[in-house]
Amino acid sequence: MTIDLAPNHKAGLALANPVMPAAGCFGLGTEYGRLVEVDALGALVVGPLTAHPRRGAGPPRLVPTPGGVLLHTGLANPGLTAALRRYARVWARSPVPVIVHVASTAPDEVASCCQQLAGLEAIAGLELGLPDTADPDEATAIIQAARASASQPLIVRLPLVWADTLCQAAVEAGADALTVAAPPRGTAWYAPGNHFVTGRLYGPFVLPLALRALRRVAALVSIPLIGCGGVHTVEDARAFLHAGAAAVQIDGAIWRDPACLAHVARSLRI
Amino acid sequence: MVQAGALITDIGTSGPFVRVTFAAPAMASGLAAGRFVLADLGDYLRAPLFPAHIEAEEFNVLVPPHHPAAALRPGVNVDLIGPLGRGFEIPAAADRLLLVASTAHLPALLPLTHQKPGLSEKPGFSIALLLSAPTAAELYPIRLLPPAVEVTIVTADGSAGQRGSIPDLLPDLVRWADCACIADDPATYPALAEIVREVRAGSGRRFAQALVVPPMACGVGACQGCAVSVARGTRLACTDGPVFDLLELR
Repeated sequence: MTIDLAPNHKAGLALANPVMPAAGCFGLGTEYGRLVEVDALGALVVGPLTAHPRRGAGPPRLVPTPGGVLLHTGLANPGLTAALRRYARVWARSPVPVIVHVASTAPDEVASCCQQLAGLEAIAGLELGLPDTADPDEATAIIQAARASASQPLIVRLPLVWADTLCQAAVEAGADALTVAAPPRGTAWYAPGNHFVTGRLYGPFVLPLALRALRRVAALVSIPLIGCGGVHTVEDARAFLHAGAAAVQIDGAIWRDPACLAHVARSLRI
Repeated sequence: MVQAGALITDIGTSGPFVRVTFAAPAMASGLAAGRFVLADLGDYLRAPLFPAHIEAEEFNVLVPPHHPAAALRPGVNVDLIGPLGRGFEIPAAADRLLLVASTAHLPALLPLTHQKPGLSEKPGFSIALLLSAPTAAELYPIRLLPPAVEVTIVTADGSAGQRGSIPDLLPDLVRWADCACIADDPATYPALAEIVREVRAGSGRRFAQALVVPPMACGVGACQGCAVSVARGTRLACTDGPVFDLLELR
């Protein structure tokens, strides 16, 4: 038995298990080595990747917060071309479908990324990030640019705060599935440097925010949803499934306990 | 690199530190000075722990009394990920090894004072340690170091050794050394780098190696969180370091 995250797409996106890592938490596929039992998972989400290489933010990128962590990487990545050169063979050998997270947000760059990835058998799906500030028109332009160029199923990751505002526009623009949601942004005081750092927040406290967003989106659209945000236990993942998600992404919990990915996946075996 | 439970077999004291011994056969043999494990001690981020002494199947760490690891007790099992990172690399041709540390940062260098046969037993090989502390009371006891290590002490108040700070005594020792391994507050590194540039202009790459330990999340390069500024951009402490060429740090 499988879950199809793209039932309206000609290729579909069939997963044997509902659990996968979230973008930005698993690297490009080789970092964890044998620490993660990949074959127990439903899919791998690798990236974020952008059309061009990005050096990313300078230090500090990581600030511990009460009960979690704030992370601002500035989307450090080698760029899609270099990543494909280095990892396409790794992804082709993956025992589970590989989904590439595209983090470019300019429509022409998004189209360029999707064109490069189109037709690559090693890549089963694309996940598209949206800017946290996107309005429905901007989201539509980005998703349509991707849809016009991509051959694989297209998952759109919604910003947490605007998930219910953007979800219908995303569906109408051609999303096959929605990830709800990107980690929320926050600001932390970095005492050693005497300045603030703004970035994405990870920790168990994100779960109730993401669950609320997913329930609201589930009431508005009927395409498959992927719950993402603050999952640290099997029960957290089940909460997303009860709320209407077809699959679940695990984010910061991977850093604390890489083994939790396979543990949650085995506990939620279809 | 593995994720495995490690049994605490002993807790003791070592100068101003609490000494925690882990039985970790799966990872002890892969540890070295400057390499580390990430320990699940209850906080959201795992704690990086640097071995102070390494045996075939166990290792110990020295932590200050307020560190979460200091509250561990024998018999407790701790989940570790490791060994991680790139440690200090001593060139085979080096005969004069200089270690530079403030007492608070010394434990990460201690494996270098107990070098395995082939280095410390090499004829003519010698190790010097430049060790600092605010006062004599906060100093790591010299008697706990191998006798072969020649120690120079500097304290801020002059209560032990010479009065001053590491930069005051560093130039002569840098002139003497073939290789320098440094563990201190990274805020001090620009001044130390300036001394190395002046005294050893044209010294080879990695003549002076320095430990930098920013907060880390994954330890494997997946989260991109532990960035360190270097001459040509940024590197990750967990996979590119945490030991870097002192002269490349920015």
